[in-house]
Amino acid sequence: MSSESLRPESRSVGRLPEGEAVRQNVSGRQRRGKVWEGILLASTVFGIIILLMLAYNIVNDAFGGIGVQYAVEEEELTDGRPLDQLSQAELVAILETNLRSRVLQNLKRERPLAERSREELIDIINDEIIKPEVVAVYTLNEFLFNRPAIEAELRESHPRAELIFKSWLSWDFIVNPMSSKPVEAGIRTAILGTVFLLLLTMLISFPLGVGAAIYLEEYKSDKPFDERVPAGRWTNNAIQRVAGLIEANIYNLSGVPSIIYGILGLAIFVRALEQFTSGAIFGYADPTTANGRTIMSAALTMSLLVLPVVIISSQEAIRAVPSSLRQASYGLGATKWQTVWKIVLPNALPGILTGTILSISRAIGETAPLIVIGASTFIVTDPDSLFSKFTVLPLQIYNWTSRPQEEFRAIAAAAIIILLVLLLSLNAVAIWLRNYLRSKRVST
Amino acid sequence: MTTTTMNDTKYAIETRNMNIYYGAFRAVKDVTFSIERNKITALIGPSGCGKSTVLRSFNRMNDLIPGARTEGEVLYHGQNLYDPDVDAVQVRRQIGMVFQKPNPFPKSIYDNIAYGPRINGWKGSKAEMDELVERALVGAALWDEVKDKLNQSGLSLSGGQQQRLCIARAIAVQPEVILMDEPCSSLDPISTLKIEELMLELRQRYTIVIVTHNMQQAARVSDYTAFFLMDKEDRAGELIEYDVTSKVFQNPSDKRTEEYVSGRFG
Repeated sequence: MSSESLRPESRSVGRLPEGEAVRQNVSGRQRRGKVWEGILLASTVFGIIILLMLAYNIVNDAFGGIGVQYAVEEEELTDGRPLDQLSQAELVAILETNLRSRVLQNLKRERPLAERSREELIDIINDEIIKPEVVAVYTLNEFLFNRPAIEAELRESHPRAELIFKSWLSWDFIVNPMSSKPVEAGIRTAILGTVFLLLLTMLISFPLGVGAAIYLEEYKSDKPFDERVPAGRWTNNAIQRVAGLIEANIYNLSGVPSIIYGILGLAIFVRALEQFTSGAIFGYADPTTANGRTIMSAALTMSLLVLPVVIISSQEAIRAVPSSLRQASYGLGATKWQTVWKIVLPNALPGILTGTILSISRAIGETAPLIVIGASTFIVTDPDSLFSKFTVLPLQIYNWTSRPQEEFRAIAAAAIIILLVLLLSLNAVAIWLRNYLRSKRVST
Repeated sequence: MTTTTMNDTKYAIETRNMNIYYGAFRAVKDVTFSIERNKITALIGPSGCGKSTVLRSFNRMNDLIPGARTEGEVLYHGQNLYDPDVDAVQVRRQIGMVFQKPNPFPKSIYDNIAYGPRINGWKGSKAEMDELVERALVGAALWDEVKDKLNQSGLSLSGGQQQRLCIARAIAVQPEVILMDEPCSSLDPISTLKIEELMLELRQRYTIVIVTHNMQQAARVSDYTAFFLMDKEDRAGELIEYDVTSKVFQNPSDKRTEEYVSGRFG
């Protein structure tokens, strides 16, 4: 724009400025704004595309087709009748005629066939006679849009196999324990481990983090000891220095790579404090966990990891409480603790909880420090105490994706979906809690 | 409630050579004056002259500012408030405060009033507390407006009502002195008028010290007026003139006071 129209003599009164120059100036400025708007929109769209690709990838792997081949077709055994419509006696007859005598004898020695329930017998027939075997795995995309080709391929390689739809994510997958057979493998152990670990981490890091945040925000500049004697002066000085040092370094601590915390946890919690973290000093003597590689160690390590973030977010929430409220409380003769407990904390709580849950929920995906402190990758027993061996979802996923068989890739994708559902529900709880507490406090 | 033995002085608060520092900076220098009981004393002066700092030194609110310290004496019925044995918590219960911006707690109206007595260790039945809340709200001329909605949030009230709620909250702990730091600066003229009327009523039971930028307000409500001004050289606030209000406004003895109250600067 020429500077002309801004000169005093070119001031227009009583009408909007007009003319070609003015029009161009305005539309030019608007255009620049539009371009920036477009760029911002593009970066948002880019993010959404990446997310969609991620979702596609996971869903594509977690569902799809499998080629199943049976040692004996069900129809051949039962003359065309479905297995679950047969009576108990007929099932026993099938077993007696089709099983090898040694296997049959073993089964009978465990418990006579006649005493077993129908469901049990059907399971045995499935496992021992029909023996379904997954011979090929296809992604959802292939299964839906490339069906003729994969059917042809399957006929070629395994003439007796049939192609069926398979959702790797199923109720069985959630409630089954770990198994070396991908079709039977489940993630119950890992889900329990993750939930257990998160709860314990929350229990440890919440009081510590909020406590530190309160101290740093409300008490740091206090002088708790008598300034009139040298010892008191010296102690006050020392406390303030330490607090200052910690405060200055919290941001640095939150940026330390998580594997470093893993190494620290290995040295301190697994090794040095083994008596405590293995539960030995509490008389908990499990021969399989006679070392510190327990949920307790993992939770302590995770707490170290999330503590800086918990402190920072709690500090921010405490800082957001208007100082006029503190002054009002002090002005009525409240002590510092009364003010903190009755005014500052209730008002900061929504923010503290949201920040804390969000930062702890990030620990849900941490794998590196847990590998370092020795979490199990293959474990079939559920964690049942603070001192159990354990595994967690990301570790299980990592383990499965590094296997060569395609079935493991598929169940890894299913486990990722479970992990994401857990993460999202935790975050949803955080948001709901914040809104609930806010609406309770500032209701009119 | 504890009963304090009162020295039978005419003055509620006296300062002797009071200097207030923020770190190395002296914000107020050599203030010596006395505040009479059951009167309204106005502190006036241009921005930055230290009048709020002086006010806040009366109940040790300056203690909350890191690096602030007070030298000299602030006597409450002869007792130095800055004596090492005096706990600021006890001072503030006796000398209450109302702030510039209404700052009710985000609690119900009832709990706003009950907060003060509760933190001071009040023990009594629910009925007694109800009575105490009512008395405080009546005292602050707010009872009729809120008696049907005591469980609503204090923040749901209008600005003027919120400020009266803050006054009610202050008198609920039965202080002797109420400090008011520009209590009407964020209120409309009608609410301001109500607060001023309230102050004149409260004068019968309480000693009131008010900081105000509004000269008419000082002239309307106060009995005594103290005029502060910032020394141009060391930027410290000092007390220029202190006298009965009519004298300060109509016949000031200092030229600077006359210039200020007549609106020629400030």
